[in-house]
Amino acid sequence: MLEIRDLRVSYGKELVLDGIDLDLKRGEALALVGESGAGKTTLGLSVMRLVEGQIRGNIRFDGIEMLKASEAELERIRWRRIAIAFQNANNVLNPVHSVLDQVTEPIVFHGLMDKYQARGRASTLLGYFGLASDRFNAYPHQLSGGEQQRVLLAMAISNYPELLILDEPLSALDATSRSEVGKLIKMDGDCTKLIATHDLDTASKLADRIAVLYGGKIVEEGQASQVLSRPRHPYTRALIRAYPNMTTVKDLQAIKEGLTRPGSGCPFHPRCTQTIDVCRTLAPETVTISDERKIACHRGGIITRLTTSSISKSFGLIRAVKSASLSIEAGETLALVGQTGSGKTTLARIIMGLCQPDSGTIYLDGAVANYSSKNFYQKVQMIFQNPGQSLSHRLSVLQAVTEPLDIQNIGDRAERRAKAMKVLGEMGLPQEENFLYRYPHHLSGGEMQRVAIARALIQDPVLLIADEPTAFLDASNQARILKQLLNLQEQRGLSMLYITHDIAAARKVSDRIAVMLEGSIIEEGPANEIVTAPHEPYTKRLICSASSLHSSQYSGIEQAPV
Amino acid sequence: MHINIKREIRESSTGKAGIIILVIMIMLALLAPLIAPCNPYHQSPMSLLPPSFSHWLGMNHVGQDIWSRLLYGARTSLMVGFGTGALATLIGTAAGISAALIDGLYERIMMRVIDTLIIIPMIIVVILLSAYIRPGVITLILILSFLSWQGGARVIRAQTLSLKEKGHIAAARTFGASRLYIAWRHIVPDLGPILLVDFIYNVRRAIFLEAGLAFLGISDPNMVSWGTMMRDALSYSYLDAWRWWLIPPGIALSLTIVGLTFIGHAAEPVIEPRFREVGIA
Repeated sequence: MLEIRDLRVSYGKELVLDGIDLDLKRGEALALVGESGAGKTTLGLSVMRLVEGQIRGNIRFDGIEMLKASEAELERIRWRRIAIAFQNANNVLNPVHSVLDQVTEPIVFHGLMDKYQARGRASTLLGYFGLASDRFNAYPHQLSGGEQQRVLLAMAISNYPELLILDEPLSALDATSRSEVGKLIKMDGDCTKLIATHDLDTASKLADRIAVLYGGKIVEEGQASQVLSRPRHPYTRALIRAYPNMTTVKDLQAIKEGLTRPGSGCPFHPRCTQTIDVCRTLAPETVTISDERKIACHRGGIITRLTTSSISKSFGLIRAVKSASLSIEAGETLALVGQTGSGKTTLARIIMGLCQPDSGTIYLDGAVANYSSKNFYQKVQMIFQNPGQSLSHRLSVLQAVTEPLDIQNIGDRAERRAKAMKVLGEMGLPQEENFLYRYPHHLSGGEMQRVAIARALIQDPVLLIADEPTAFLDASNQARILKQLLNLQEQRGLSMLYITHDIAAARKVSDRIAVMLEGSIIEEGPANEIVTAPHEPYTKRLICSASSLHSSQYSGIEQAPV
Repeated sequence: MHINIKREIRESSTGKAGIIILVIMIMLALLAPLIAPCNPYHQSPMSLLPPSFSHWLGMNHVGQDIWSRLLYGARTSLMVGFGTGALATLIGTAAGISAALIDGLYERIMMRVIDTLIIIPMIIVVILLSAYIRPGVITLILILSFLSWQGGARVIRAQTLSLKEKGHIAAARTFGASRLYIAWRHIVPDLGPILLVDFIYNVRRAIFLEAGLAFLGISDPNMVSWGTMMRDALSYSYLDAWRWWLIPPGIALSLTIVGLTFIGHAAEPVIEPRFREVGIA
């Protein structure tokens, strides 16, 4: 139906779209998702050849080369076979005609009906999109933004177009009308739709497939539900994390820095947390990773940091860990939840090489973890439960924080000190002389733990194992530390294994939750699924007994509708 | 939370007394060349003279000044004592910590060696060895050290095993620290008080053994030693000479050992806080 090949659009020197390849089958709805400035609107307009910039490449609509078509040909196609519902802005509708007239006009213009019939169809359409009949003869300025949006939609489908381009079709509507109008758009199933939106909700409601646009390139493409539930490109995941919704339970996280267009390499590399050298110089090829799933990333999408494969450990007759398999992706938080004695800490200690597993293997970045090389400990760090113990009472704050650098023999004294200051700052601790020379017993519990975290962060690890890092702290200190950790995740793409018995805290900070009981991982999945629809009775019990401000909030989870 | 061994010793009166005694002994030994009126080896025809102004403690059977020999004897005793103390504690620490940190075959062998050394009656071995070798100061230090580190090593290993599980040591391991680093930077400082007690114990025993061997006449006969003095004096016990010849080295030896015992006793709460007297925080 629609084939776009190597589409490049530039306004002057600025390349807005850079090699877009897209295919739309008849009747299919594809959402173009991306931040403002990604080139979504330009792509939509290019298809109708309505852009003012230079267009190169191929756009083939039902066999017609749009970029080579004459003006007359285009005239026949525009509004008749391809229609567009513009993003509602005040200047789209003609202020001197009533909205009914404006919807009638293209029908008459393309000679589909006579004026009388056309008016009838126009009224039907306006009614269909929920505009009150007494508003049909109103002028655009008399209508609210939402009503104008409905008019634009009615206008777009007035000629039974084969391809409908919708630019932010629902953004002017409030939440309830949004789902209602969304349903109406969706009901028109014969029509092929190209939806440009920054709103993931719109995309998930209207589209079968999603193409994620960043910096003029498609970075990820696939089935809508797949892309949204299991994003593979770091940008897609970041978009989802920044999007307030009722599905995910983790705190919102922004994407670091702002939208820029780097001169070379992958467009996302300045904001990506897993950039390697090649990302800066070479634009990634789009590769198909599974059915209908395409991704453009040198790292093959979000990489897997750590995998534990069937780890077992017994202490005498006690089987502390039974065949535990986990994996943690880059920039992801996996919460390991379970009661005391369920083997969480043992598993953490095994990952850190503090304890030898009886069987099983640990992989870091795809290779078997080598604990004899110091390199492992530059990448993986641990935060211990009790900061009073994990900090030596003989070492001052500065000595404690720089200890990893002393051990790894990184930098000279001044550099070590500078790094220490930086991480102390990141953890919101004072950087004065006076504080640097304090000993742990002069610090509060919260300060001690933040010093311990600063120490774990000084080598810029990629994975942090946090074993009940806030167990000894009050709620406010806990919130502060968790926020700081999430912030680091946003900035550096830090992966975290967050070990806790508190599923309420886990829910706020983790992407995925794994539940551990008597040494086995009994349930694992996205945090929202575990919290709202747990399968295991033990998980249900955990949730029921989690902290709540209303005594009855979760008590009825068994009966609660899912 | 800090165990302050200095304070612990200073706050006990026995500890203070022990330190005073030991300091005096050390001063006498150090200053021997300055205070001693005569060369301790110099023999004169004036044998078995009673005390006089020129010879405070008289002369021995070969006409050597007893006071000078007493001072030089302190040097031998303390040198053997501290030398053995240092070496034995060093060996014990290295063996104990390494056995605790390196597990597996090494630990098993090391522990069996320690067990074996503990059951061997050390004094008999020392006497046998000395009888053949006739050790001088250095040899004696080596013999005594190699035969007296095992008790300390056991205690140190046990302590290290419990220290090893401490959070900050686990943390250091997660920074990629080597065993040597952990032993040196974390375990030795934490063992400090125990090492001191072990050291004092070793010093005390070495001084006692050195005197004993000399008394039995099986160490280097040319060595000036309290033990040799007592032995020589004893063979002249039918004369009055024993009063100024036998008693002074006896007192000196007893005082040194008592002084060390006092310090050790004062430091004991450090290893075993239950020994602590009520009222001392």
